[in-house]
Amino acid sequence: MGSTEGLAEWVRRAASGETSAFSELYRRTRPLVARLMAGFAPLDSDEVEDVIQETFVRAFRALPRLKEAGAFEAWLLSIARNRARTRLERKASLRRLEDDISDPEPETVPALPEALQLERDIEVVRQLISELPDGEEKRTVQLFYIEGELSAREIAEQLGVGKSAVTMRLERFRGRIKRELLRRVLAGRWE
Amino acid sequence: MRHLDDEALSALARREPEAVKYFREHLATACEACEGFLATHSGPDVLDGQVDAVLLALAPPRTDAPLDEVGFARVRRELRKPHLDTRRWGLIAGAVAAGLLAIIVVPRLRQGGSGVELGPASQESGVKGQVGRIALELAVVAKGSDGALRRLDPDTLVDSDDVLLLRYHATEAGTALLFQRRADEEPQLLGTFELEAGTHDLRGPQGLSGVSLEGESGPLTLWLAASPAGLEPSPDEVKRVLVGEGERWEQGTLAVTRFDVRVRSGQNPR
Ligand SMILES: [Zn+2]
Repeated sequence: MGSTEGLAEWVRRAASGETSAFSELYRRTRPLVARLMAGFAPLDSDEVEDVIQETFVRAFRALPRLKEAGAFEAWLLSIARNRARTRLERKASLRRLEDDISDPEPETVPALPEALQLERDIEVVRQLISELPDGEEKRTVQLFYIEGELSAREIAEQLGVGKSAVTMRLERFRGRIKRELLRRVLAGRWE
Repeated sequence: MRHLDDEALSALARREPEAVKYFREHLATACEACEGFLATHSGPDVLDGQVDAVLLALAPPRTDAPLDEVGFARVRRELRKPHLDTRRWGLIAGAVAAGLLAIIVVPRLRQGGSGVELGPASQESGVKGQVGRIALELAVVAKGSDGALRRLDPDTLVDSDDVLLLRYHATEAGTALLFQRRADEEPQLLGTFELEAGTHDLRGPQGLSGVSLEGESGPLTLWLAASPAGLEPSPDEVKRVLVGEGERWEQGTLAVTRFDVRVRSGQNPR
């Protein structure tokens, strides 16, 4: 998180056409995107590679239109999640091939709160996790987000459950966190 | 009780006070319906990315990783391919057909030796095609001698009696220079065009512009290079940029797209 300002500078350099800035952005943010993908257990490693590639191709193509360099990471992760979900839904035949979850338009991505606010959000989420009742969901969340080493597939193996069960637990928990962050955004940051 | 749905989410994205006020209160306590909706729908804005950034920041920081060369090479390869946003371009051939009555063939300005040969370094134009305060995309349609239109993929074989029609998408209004280059020759300026923001056919003062391929054979490259309105690009400047001098592209005020075709050696070679 502390590198947000450093990242923004690379985003500006990439947007002004410096080709080496793209590889630096890739080097810095690929691990984060890959970690996000590790939560989508139904995707195999080839599919994950494809989604990562598609994410960066989309982001780099649209990057010159991104008005808020400081929002790059959140925007990139939004694209990555949309790409992964589209892939999953296609895999499950929920989505026709030509349908596509649309990504946030780079021109309209707003400025995001500064690092301090992020630190506070992180503390709030830690608190929410500690308050979860002991059980499978809490264990899954701890393994995936707090320890941050195992993929959802590996967690499924370790807990002896189906791989989509792990992803469903993570998604359910994430829905709760998203609700909480949305409330906080509505309560203060948009007024 | 009202829960989050698509409509509510877009109201929140528009910061509608009534929706903001209602959901600020409603979301203060756990709600299975709203959480389920949020888990399976993206937005508003980049909230999804913010949520994931926070969640992924819970784990101990990772050590600085070296560049994944293979992964980045894949991205670069993809970016080099001329790109069409299919949602934006739609049925391009049909759209062009409507305005097809008057194609003005761009006159060829046969130029002397002032051009610059493009080295291989200038080929990596995928990323650069988007660079700048104006971003540009290009689609090309061939009109055959029988009048039929077909949209071209890059590197398609075309006939020398085809006329190429260009359609662009520009994020801003601006001025564009159209260049072409034959196999082993210098880039040639074909013309200057005013661009409007949005998706349009390339037209000059007299109407729709087309590039005649009469007398051509072999590989042919077209470039459309645009600057935002008020920043007239000079042909020499643009040529320097096409050569790819240095890493920085004119402070990002120029967008360049390129399109390659191969002209079938016709019965009337030059
Ligand atoms: Zn609700």
